[in-house]
Amino acid sequence: MKYAVKMTGPVQQVLRAMLEDAAVPRYGLQISKQADLEPGTLYPVMARLEGVGWVESSWENADLSIKDGRPRRRYYQLTKDGAEQARLALAEISGRREKRRSSLSAAQPGPLGASL
Amino acid sequence: MNGRTQIQPRPAAGQDDALAGLREVLRVTRPGADVELIRRAYDVAASWHQGQTRRSGDPYITHPLAVATILAELGADDQMLCAAMLHDTIEDTPYTLAALSGQFGAEVAALVVGTIALDQVKGGRGRNLSQVLAAVRSADTRVLAIKVADRLHNMRTVEFTPPAKQLRKSRESLDIFAPVASQLSMDTIVAELETLAYATMKRNRHARSVSGRLLIAVTALLPVATRTRWCEEWLGELHTLAARRDRASFAVHTMLGIPRLAYTVRNPARGRRRAG
Repeated sequence: MKYAVKMTGPVQQVLRAMLEDAAVPRYGLQISKQADLEPGTLYPVMARLEGVGWVESSWENADLSIKDGRPRRRYYQLTKDGAEQARLALAEISGRREKRRSSLSAAQPGPLGASL
Repeated sequence: MNGRTQIQPRPAAGQDDALAGLREVLRVTRPGADVELIRRAYDVAASWHQGQTRRSGDPYITHPLAVATILAELGADDQMLCAAMLHDTIEDTPYTLAALSGQFGAEVAALVVGTIALDQVKGGRGRNLSQVLAAVRSADTRVLAIKVADRLHNMRTVEFTPPAKQLRKSRESLDIFAPVASQLSMDTIVAELETLAYATMKRNRHARSVSGRLLIAVTALLPVATRTRWCEEWLGELHTLAARRDRASFAVHTMLGIPRLAYTVRNPARGRRRAG
């Protein structure tokens, strides 16, 4: 199946990290740490995901940042549709990987023939 | 208004009324004020600024209204309050000076022209601080008071502007506006301007660091409309990183991703077709 986003490795890492708790908004550094990606890789991925509507971002409340004496943070969150699509895409990828692994380990061309 | 108004506005009688707060202030500071005239200035400004918004997302008219309210707290006269309401209409909307003069009189028009003239002195290229201060010294004190109130409200809402601009506005507030306000004996305003300016500069101090400057410089590679957002976002992240080494590393790595980011924001829907 084709998805709106090409499921590159970094994209998968970001989506896995964000799906761990899809309801929690996170700022870039948090995602960068959780997904184990450098910021130079992370931000283009976030822009892409936002561009296709899987993720949305917004500024935190200015009063809060003033109280803490720092600039406003930009928070990212999966959209409802984005979370759904991301789950499907990741499941498909791990399913494919699983299939490849079992077909490699099987001595006989079993699974494919059996399913037919 | 951030709740800084010392005189707490009472809820408007009946429906919600944008001028209720201002009228309440006037009731205390200038009971004889021509509220009808001021209301007219508000209506004209609101209709011309219709559809314009502040960076905060608020309707633009909230700004001139706040400036007028600050001046009303200081007991400013009707002409000043009208000029405060209308101070951005000539420059930012199709409303003309002739129409303004016809509707509100030559005195209000002269005050509005005075504020525009001061903007031009301050905004002119190659002006140094002493030239600006010389122009300020020769300006009408009523015009100066409007400019000070204008700046105070802009500083109260400065967090919605890009970090570099926040720093510049803070510096100007300390170098130009606070001394002017002090000269006009607007003491509470001097104190508030200084507090806001120092807090803003502290909050945005990373915009002046090497890492911050680097990040601000490289956002030039991004489409204009998106620069401010990324710039502010990254300076926020810099602030979160405690160690200088981490900030430098963040800046360098972010910078390396900018060509790809630039491509992505220019082609938001083309994720699938791009190689790599």
